[in-house]
Amino acid sequence: MQVVTRLEPQGLAYIPFRRSVGASLTSGPCVGARRGTGKNDDEPLKPDIDHSALVQRIVECRDKEAFAQLFDHFAPRIKAMLMRTGTAAEVAEDLAQDAMLTLWRKADFFDPSRASVAAWVFTIARNLRIDVARRERRARLHAVLENIEPEAQQQPDQIVSLAEREQKVRLAMQQLPAEQAEVVKLSFVEGKAHGDIATCLGIPLGTVKSRLRLAMGRLRQILEEVA
Amino acid sequence: MNISHHPSDPLLADFAANTLDEANAFVVAAHLAMCPQCRQAVSQFECLGGALLDELPGSGIDPVRRAHALASIDTEPAMVPPRVASRVTPLRAQPRSSSTVDDVLALYGTGPWRWTGPGVYWRPVDLPVENGTRAFMLRAAPGTALLNHRHSGTELTLVLKGAFSHELGHFAAGDVEEADSEIAHSPVVDKESECICLVAMQGDIRLQGWLGRLMQPFVRF
Repeated sequence: MQVVTRLEPQGLAYIPFRRSVGASLTSGPCVGARRGTGKNDDEPLKPDIDHSALVQRIVECRDKEAFAQLFDHFAPRIKAMLMRTGTAAEVAEDLAQDAMLTLWRKADFFDPSRASVAAWVFTIARNLRIDVARRERRARLHAVLENIEPEAQQQPDQIVSLAEREQKVRLAMQQLPAEQAEVVKLSFVEGKAHGDIATCLGIPLGTVKSRLRLAMGRLRQILEEVA
Repeated sequence: MNISHHPSDPLLADFAANTLDEANAFVVAAHLAMCPQCRQAVSQFECLGGALLDELPGSGIDPVRRAHALASIDTEPAMVPPRVASRVTPLRAQPRSSSTVDDVLALYGTGPWRWTGPGVYWRPVDLPVENGTRAFMLRAAPGTALLNHRHSGTELTLVLKGAFSHELGHFAAGDVEEADSEIAHSPVVDKESECICLVAMQGDIRLQGWLGRLMQPFVRF
């Protein structure tokens, strides 16, 4: 099916961040074992802590090198995500740059105790996925919600547990049956509504909904497991 | 607020993925403003979006344009959020100006209340119809029994004030009911106070029963 075919990376000389997650993912449910230990200095930094530190450098001293690193990591991915939505490469590249510029301008708004950098970048990019006419209103809708005070006082080790959360999410995605993972990706990465997913896969709308329900249920179950 | 009926996970996931039509996104956002539990779920789904984004093979950025983008930040001023106590520590104290459901509701204009049946008024929410889905508010007097009806499409109802009951439960302020064309219900508003709901409705309403069929030509939501 064409929608899940990976796009050609177009010969990019992109070097991904060193990812320490991969190892821990394959070694099974070890995530929880580190819970409550706070910072583990002897442990390799999780990628999002790296990203979080880069954003922090932008906040503190408008560090352009930090921005360049974030740009090289996220801009190609945002572009890829927007292209999968059907956006032309040129336009997707422009939008990816806009998204990164937003990150630069709004670095002060990023709260590492509430979201990972990847999740934050995703929220910037998803708002670019809808057409210009609706974009601003939709962004306002999300902006109002971001402005709601968190319920509980954030704990100091919340950042660590957010990194754990991201690992658990990756783990959950890997464990999903292929047909559920496919529907999740069509929704989150390609921004397709249920009806479009049904058309695209040639399956009934109810099947799309039930696959999403199972996938999201599984995801939340894994996230809410007390490790 | 004691919320007992929440939007389903797929609906919250769609909100996080930004794939909902505007009317449904509006109703979900209004619920989220009232429900920390669902805000938490949405942030989990956004985390999923982040992980999926992170795992995508990147699509190359033209080096010339990359250089241009990196140079352009020199002229980009930083936006400083209002009332953030400290910019130095990663964990900020959180004296944000806090939004409420009223701030969400204020994002869209509404038309005047119009009579639509005994004790029942509605007013349109001024947002574009996408996928045949409109948003409106419904206001019903205490004790009003609405006619048994079903929908030609999906219906998402958020109680803003008061409460109603029907075959599937009791819905009070903050509660959400997701219905589709399979479900027929006959809501009755609680006696204590009037009930105001925010509704995203796809298609139209089909009244059931002989009285309903008789009144059908007059229903104009």
